[in-house]
Amino acid sequence: MSKGTIVSVSGPLVTAKGMETANIQDICRVGELGLIGEIIEMRGDVASIQVYEETSMVGPGETVETTGEALSVELAPGMISQMFDGIQRPLDEFMEKTQSNFLERGMTIEPLNRERKWEFKPSVEAGAEVEAGDIVGVVPETKVIEHRIMVPYGVKGRIKSISAGSFTVSEALYVLETDEGDKEFTMMQKWPVRRGRPIKTKLNPEEPLITGQRVIDTLFPVAKGGAAAVPGPFGAGKTVVQHQIAKWADVDMVVYVGCGERGNEMTDVINEFPELIDPNTGESIMERTVLIANTSNMPVAAREASIYTGITIAEYFRDMGYSVAIMADSTSRWAEALREMSGRLEEMPGDEGYPAYLGSRLAEYYERAGKVITLGSDERLGSITAIGAVSPPGGDTSEPVTQNTLRVAKVFWGLDSSLAQRRHFPSINWLNSYSLYSNEMNEFVGKKLDVDWNGMVTRAKALLQDESELQEIVRLVGVESLSERDRLKLVVARMIREDFLQQNAFDDVDTYTSRNKQYEMLYTILDFEDQAVRAMDLGAYYDEIIKGTDAVRERVGRMKYIKEAELDKIKEIRDQSKQDMQVVLEKGGVESDA
Amino acid sequence: MRNKIGVVGDKDSVLAFKMLGFSVFFASEAKETRRLIDSLADKDYGVIYLTEQLAELVPETIRRYDARMKPAIILIPNHAGSRGIGKKRVQENVEKAVGQNIL
Repeated sequence: MSKGTIVSVSGPLVTAKGMETANIQDICRVGELGLIGEIIEMRGDVASIQVYEETSMVGPGETVETTGEALSVELAPGMISQMFDGIQRPLDEFMEKTQSNFLERGMTIEPLNRERKWEFKPSVEAGAEVEAGDIVGVVPETKVIEHRIMVPYGVKGRIKSISAGSFTVSEALYVLETDEGDKEFTMMQKWPVRRGRPIKTKLNPEEPLITGQRVIDTLFPVAKGGAAAVPGPFGAGKTVVQHQIAKWADVDMVVYVGCGERGNEMTDVINEFPELIDPNTGESIMERTVLIANTSNMPVAAREASIYTGITIAEYFRDMGYSVAIMADSTSRWAEALREMSGRLEEMPGDEGYPAYLGSRLAEYYERAGKVITLGSDERLGSITAIGAVSPPGGDTSEPVTQNTLRVAKVFWGLDSSLAQRRHFPSINWLNSYSLYSNEMNEFVGKKLDVDWNGMVTRAKALLQDESELQEIVRLVGVESLSERDRLKLVVARMIREDFLQQNAFDDVDTYTSRNKQYEMLYTILDFEDQAVRAMDLGAYYDEIIKGTDAVRERVGRMKYIKEAELDKIKEIRDQSKQDMQVVLEKGGVESDA
Repeated sequence: MRNKIGVVGDKDSVLAFKMLGFSVFFASEAKETRRLIDSLADKDYGVIYLTEQLAELVPETIRRYDARMKPAIILIPNHAGSRGIGKKRVQENVEKAVGQNIL
């Protein structure tokens, strides 16, 4: 604990002298209001402190007090379905305490409710040897998430006593006999946000994350434990894509970090999520969601912290053996917060004014994602999938944040404003997006469904690629110049685009498509092509096929609205397509010739 | 580039072309005609002579090859006399190429 004096204040950056005993990353209380700040630079006895609250009316001469602790989050039951700010203050309690819709300064609020009692059920007995990461008992926190209480990092010993019953997060639960004597432990752990929580080993991710979004699951899948970037210009639908994944992904937990975006987007989350039912558990998806909000009008410095707060909470749930997805919307705002602080610190700027360490900071964040074997003797499997939105100004993805993100994220979902303008949603561009997990994930899905899924996906991609080349020719010399086979290709590619890739997030049925339905849909479209090519080989003309399959193509177009329970209907479409093609052949064009 | 010449029509009208060394095929109704023309087009036939009477039955098929370089489908009268559509097609093509009817 040392006390210093403020020398200067520049926005969220405060410099104070007389801080020789303080260390970098210490949390300080700044000024008479006691604003929360973190030391980010030390030169001699002068500390630069980034303050997580508004600094107006703070001036030189006021005192700064360090706490000697790093910025940490409290990890215990009570986090789920809460909304926190960037430094883990619960926002609804904040509002109650201050009676204000805005952040009052200098407030101290316990991140987790200290009064609420949780029903604890031990899973080990007294006398058992435990090590860091071992589960000593569980608390049913919500209907879907069982909060597993783990032995904190760096502790090892024999359980002396452990009791079942109701406890608050700060009451002693169990006593450990360690080498340094007996120690009491509570449910709560503290962890500094800027340090990744330790793991045993990192594994290669091999299982796909099912999001229910056709373009993502089929064309550009992300692995559980992978990292994905969603860059896109304004209004292209980044937020909707993120919300959709947060809603439907088949993970156990979702941490949603609203970072520097509009406040109404977080309001949407709060309004919508409690009403939505998770298809995997049948419960409200709020029961598995933690929200971190630092909207555009909240302090900039806390934005920088919000990402770390989010991933630390995600890591904690991963350590329990859950698969967790963390969405950050948007990492560009976070990078801009870094830029602002770096500018005020007068550091040498890199590309576009971003600090030179932007790349390493982004990598640090994304590298905390992954599929791991957690600490603890039972070798649980856990994973974090990180999905970060990036908002490149003007949609130009050659800017530093996107480029540095792409260096570490293996999946790129490039949103396209021209698709968004054509009302093609999700506006993920199928030509420039990519997923480096594609092959492994497709093999996995193929094995699950017992079909050549990889072949089907490759064929669909090839069709879309061919379409763009053919479109060039059509634009130059007109559609007449194409061979009939190529014109058929255009029709099928259009079916893939409009009837398969396009998906309405606001339609009750279309918003989520299971793996089986995706397969049935894609198979139906590709089967249509096979039938048509066969008919052509037998002498049918392109015009005849198009005319003869009008009705069936219309049904293909509406197949996305077929309920999951009625997948047989898609099979019927395939049968009809076969029949119609037969009719075309039987007529043999004679009728239209006559 | 060597191409073959085929003749499609009713037997009485087109048999004589065999003397010239053309490949001669007989047809009398629409389906047969269409299948013959499609299959000749698939092989390397450059010119197909088709009787006007048959051409009237399969306008779709003829239109299909209009925009292609190969094969050229040329309409000829049959033994029953000309219907005039063959000549009209030539005149239309001339008009397209030159800008006015110079024939």
